[in-house]
This record gives sequence, C-alpha cells and structure tokens, in this order.
Amino acid sequence: MSQISDEDRQALRDGFARYLEAEADEKKLRSAIANDRGYDEAIWQQMAEMGLLGIAIAEDSGGVGGGAIDVALVMEEIGKKLLPVPFLSTCVVAADMISRFGSEAIQQDLLPKIAAGELVISTGGSGDFVPLSDHDLSLSAKSSAADWTLNGQVSFVSHAGNADYHLLGLQEDGVDSAYLVKASDAVSKDRLITNDPAQRLFKLHLSDARAIKLEVLDADGIGQVRMRAIAALAAEQAGAMRAIFEITMDYLRTRYQFGRPIGSFQAIKHMAAELLVEVESATSAALAAAKALDANSPDAAKFVSLAAFTCKDAFRTVSAQAIQMHGGIAYTQEHIAHLYWRRARAGLPLFGSSDAHREQYLKSREAA
Amino acid sequence: MTILDRNASAEEIRNVVEAWLDAHWDAEKRCAKGAGRYDEKSWLTQVFEAGFCVPSWPIEYYGLGLSQKQSAIIEKAFSRRNAEGSARDRFHLGAITIFKVGSEPLKRTMLPIMLTGPICCLLYSEPNAGSDLAGVRTKAVPDGDDFIITGQKIWTSNAQEAEYGMLLTRTDWDVPKHRGITFFLFPMKQDGVEVKPINQITGESEFNEVFITGARVSATNIIGSLNQGWTSFQTAIAYERLIMGQGVTERRGKSKPDSEPQLIRLARRQGKYDDPVIRQKIAQALAHRELNGLNMERAKQEIMTNGSSSLMSLGKLAMSRIQHGEAAIATDLLGQEALLDGDDSADAANVNFDAAKAYMNSIGGGTDQIQKNIIAERVLNLPKEPDMDRNVAFRDIKSSSL
Repeated sequence: MSQISDEDRQALRDGFARYLEAEADEKKLRSAIANDRGYDEAIWQQMAEMGLLGIAIAEDSGGVGGGAIDVALVMEEIGKKLLPVPFLSTCVVAADMISRFGSEAIQQDLLPKIAAGELVISTGGSGDFVPLSDHDLSLSAKSSAADWTLNGQVSFVSHAGNADYHLLGLQEDGVDSAYLVKASDAVSKDRLITNDPAQRLFKLHLSDARAIKLEVLDADGIGQVRMRAIAALAAEQAGAMRAIFEITMDYLRTRYQFGRPIGSFQAIKHMAAELLVEVESATSAALAAAKALDANSPDAAKFVSLAAFTCKDAFRTVSAQAIQMHGGIAYTQEHIAHLYWRRARAGLPLFGSSDAHREQYLKSREAA
Repeated sequence: MTILDRNASAEEIRNVVEAWLDAHWDAEKRCAKGAGRYDEKSWLTQVFEAGFCVPSWPIEYYGLGLSQKQSAIIEKAFSRRNAEGSARDRFHLGAITIFKVGSEPLKRTMLPIMLTGPICCLLYSEPNAGSDLAGVRTKAVPDGDDFIITGQKIWTSNAQEAEYGMLLTRTDWDVPKHRGITFFLFPMKQDGVEVKPINQITGESEFNEVFITGARVSATNIIGSLNQGWTSFQTAIAYERLIMGQGVTERRGKSKPDSEPQLIRLARRQGKYDDPVIRQKIAQALAHRELNGLNMERAKQEIMTNGSSSLMSLGKLAMSRIQHGEAAIATDLLGQEALLDGDDSADAANVNFDAAKAYMNSIGGGTDQIQKNIIAERVLNLPKEPDMDRNVAFRDIKSSSL
C-alpha cells in the first residue's frame, strides 16, 4: 500500500517531469553514458532531494512510503528520458530486499542512505529477485560463526561500477539466499562491453570477500520483490516507448517528401495507429500491475506477467518501427532512436523472457 | 400525472417510477396492466405520455427535464421489470437527431410518432458509397412540396419493421460532394420501397438492401436544410458512435470474469493444451482481449474526469485483431474437424461462424483501414492526405461503376 496521497503523488510526478524536461536533455544523456559512472550524479542527487530515491522505503527508514504505483510513475519518467540511473537495482530491488530481509541494524544503516542518494547497490547472481541471472556463475559462500565470505566469479552484475554494495543472489536447489558484499579490494570488476551503451554490466571476481547474509528469505517475500521489480520495469518501458513514439509523430508532421508531410501517407498513418494501440495497451498493463500489487489483489501475479511481456514486446516493436518510420536519419548514432531501440533490446531478458511470462500468464487464466 | 424535476432526489424518482410501473406494467405477463398481450404502440404511448421515454429532454419536448444521472434511475427501474420504452433519449437515433437538428415543425409532428413507434432504420450506405459515404448517389428531385427519391441503399438493419428511415441523398450534382447532400426523415411504408434481406457471410440476415424507385418524401421532412445534409448527418453519426461505445462498456460489466476462457477449453477438448506453441498463441490472444478491456477502463476513467478520451477510438481496431486472431487459433485447434459444419459439429460450426463474423467488426461501421486514418488524423494529428475529389463537382468525380 502507498502512504502517499493522490495529490502528493501527482505533485511528485509533475515536479520530476518538469525537472527532467528542463535538465535531462539528450546532450547530458550522451555525456553520462560516455563516462565511466554511466549516469549523471547531479540528476541522481536531485532525485534524492525530491524524495524519489526513497519512494519505496518506509517513512521510519528515511523514505516516503510509496507503493508500486509511485514507483511506476517515477519509472515512467525515467523511461521517457532513458535516464541510465541505478534506480531499479538500488531503490527498487535492493531497497525492497533489505526492507524485508535485512536485520534491524542493517535496515537502519542502509535504507536512509539509499533514500539520501549516498549509496548505490548493484544486483546480480542467481535467484528470482535478480534481474539478470548469471547461469555460469561459480560463486560459493562459506561461514565461520556469523561471518560470511564469498569466493568465485559472477557475471551480468548491473551497475557494479561505482556501487558501494553488491547484492548477490545464490539460488541452490530452488532455495534463494542473498548476500550484501561491500565494495572493497576483495572484489575486482571488469566492465562488460554492452550493446546498449547506457547499460552497465560487470563481471565480479570475489576472493574471500566479506558478506552480510540476508536472513529468512521466504518464497512469498522474494516473489513480492520480483513482482514489484517487474512492474517497475514495465512502467519504465511504457514511458520510454511513449517518448520515442511522440518523437516519431513529431517527425512525421514535419518531414516533407513528395511535397507533403510523410505523416500524410496512409502507409505511415496505419503504422502509427497500430503503434498507438501498443503504447496505450502497455501503459494500461503497467498501471494495472502496479495497482493490483498495491491492492494485494489475488490477480496481482496475472497482471504482472501480462505487463511484463506486453511492455517488453511493445517497447521492442515501437522503438524498432520508430527507426523504420524515420528512415535513413535514424540509421545513425547521432539520432536518438537507436538509444531507445537498444534500451528495448536490453530489457528483453530482464526477469525472464516474454515467452516465459506469457506462459505464466496463461497459467493464471486457467480455471483453479 | 408524474411530477418530477431536477430537484428530485434519487429516492423520490425511484418511488415515482416504481409506483407508476406498479400501476401500469404487468411484469409477469410482460404487457400493460389489463391488456392481456403486449402491444408496442399502446404501451409506448403510455410511457411517452408519462415523460419516461425521454426523461432528459425538456418538458416542452416530451421529457421531464431531468439530468442523465436521474434518467438512469428511470432506465434501471424499467429494465428491472423488462419494460420497454425508457431511455429513448439515449438509444433512439432518429428521435435524437430530430431533437438535436430538426426544425421546430418537424419536432412537433414527428417526435410523438417516432417515440411511440419502432426505431428508425439508417439509409446511409450504398453499393458505391461505403467507406466514402459522402459519395451517395441516391437521387432526390423536387416535385411540388415533395421530393421524389430513386436509388439503392444497403446494410440497413431493421428495414422490415421500421416506419421511418434516415436517408442520405444527393440533391446537387454540380458542387463538391459534401455540399450537395440532403438528409431526410423518410417514410418506409409506401409504394416504391422494396426491402430485400441480405444473405450474409455468416448465414445470418440482419441487414437488408433497400431499393427506392420514385418514392416520395415531404420537403418538411428534411433534417437540417437543403444541401446541408452532411452537417446534420455528422450529428447522427456522432450519436451512433456514442451509442456503440456505450454498448461496449455496458456489455463488459456482464461477462463472467472467473470462468475459463473458451480458447483454453477448446484446446483441452482437442488434447492440444500441452503444446507450447499453442499455449503461446492462446496466451497472446487472451492478453489482447484483456489489454483492450484495461484500455476501455482507462477510457471510462478519462471520460469521467475529462469528458472525453481518445482511447475510445482504439477499441474497435483492437477488437479486429482480437476476433480474427481468436478465430484463427480456434480453427487451427480443430484441424480438419473445422471442415465440417452444422449441429452435429458444434465446435466447428461455432469456429467457422466466428471466423466469418469477425469481419463484422473489421469492415462494419468503417473498415479498419478507415479507422486507422481516423486515429492517425484525429488522435495523433497527422496531416490529412490530399483529397482527389476536393473542389470537384460531384458529377465529375471518378467512380468504379459509372
């Protein structure tokens, strides 16, 4: 449930959107993704200032106590501007995992820092709460007394570059465990070359890296973390596809060929009308998933899987057709369309494929 | 005599309507009290005189001057008892159009007749004017106080029963197409009007062809004014779309949400539900339907807060993909069984019917292609295509048959 009133929610969203409109232009995006950090620290700090980094964190832990719907609205705006910030891993997945499974001391230590923008947490490993599982990971955990140490390698870790902690999952025989590893000399990092230049993926090498184990990972709780993260991702994709769709519609009204705007050709109009159905359906699906989660609806799992494959597939279609409708000018790196298209492709395997979510959705439509 | 006005509470309205229905309607026999059997004209006359036909219209135009919300209370009371006649201000397209754009004498003479009779039929489409409705060629030629009508209309529902039709005609052939059209309220029961049912692709016959040969209509029955028919027609078509839209949202509420979808049950019966390819297809088809429902719910919310929603225009297009898609999957599930038809092959008969019926949505009321143009131009503000027939006299426009 969200502790934020409808008016405050609207104000929060409007304020963030206005700020991004003024500050998050394409030039900043390109310079952010060209530097090592991968995102604009000033924008990240402003998000902290606005309370957005603590949106999913309880008020008594320094957050604002928002629900899935609030996370969705923030993610939509992030998506529109393709902000490459570590929001999903830090403020959605890690914040939720720590809130549910961290000890009182860890919660009081880390959650306020996340909300304040003082902490970035990467996510990786294996398990249902991990956006990108490494299927070849060679990670092992051992304990002596209360202390845990991790050894081995793990790839596909998101936002590990300047992360203060790495939240690593280890799923064995269907049982999830999760470790918080502090960035230190015991963890070395190789940045992976990614197709989407805005994506930050790393391979970590851990040698006797000290770790805090999050306790009592019940399957229900992990399932909640996973569903909330998927709903957040879907909202980001819904926002992103709407933005590239609108950029494309603007182009169709102003680009002239054969003495008329290309948007006056029916071949183009029909593509546009079909894409609008995709964009609106994705928005509806993402919204329905967030609302169902906040209402604790028995349909929540159904709507989350619906949102997952609908938004992934629609973002891919819309961003790909955007390039096609622009023609030659979008077959360049100077034009922004390819960045949306790459983001769409980068989203496809997060939390499982569209096909896997479609299968889940079908199961939820069967008679009980 | 009923005494209700805008200040009446919901409670008061309900009481008055219930009392009136208690006194006049025999819910068991489904006819007027004491009548023995249902007589449409005499029942509707009673409803009309009580003002319940068109409660949202002003008293001087046969209504009660109530709000939409108040009118809905009356409609509900009628429908609870299966009594006809209420909410004609929402569903009687002919009466609504006359009320909105008809002349004063037309309203006075025709509204009482129309509101107490069968609904009007719509004489719009012609064999050569389908998507391009402004290309109608049915002739209306002045003759004294009348016009003489000759032409052919098509896709007309209720043409057999209707006493009146709303008729689009060509009255000036020497001006561009939109400027030479006249809209009539046309009496159907006369010589020179022949109604022929169409054998549709599904085997049904909801629609008719209407052949009009030298039939007459009085000049006082012009809806709007001479040669300005396209403008009045816009009012009629806007209400038609509104009614269709309301139908969509109202029907939605009545479906059982928890029952297992037909496609899943069919796949189980055919022993193919474990096939992963089939499962993906069924899941996507169910998703398309559910997404359209979510879009329409958002549309309803937007209409409640903003008065309108562009999402509304997407429903019809989305429904084409849903219906054709579901029919294709079901056909594949049946395999060669789909070759059969008839009562002994119920699954096949249903699937084959659905596959044909899907065209009702993707062609009827404007093809998907026209709908996409409308979405692109009105929702997305993409520029209009240059018209070949703009500023050309209608008689010089190229057409397929002439």
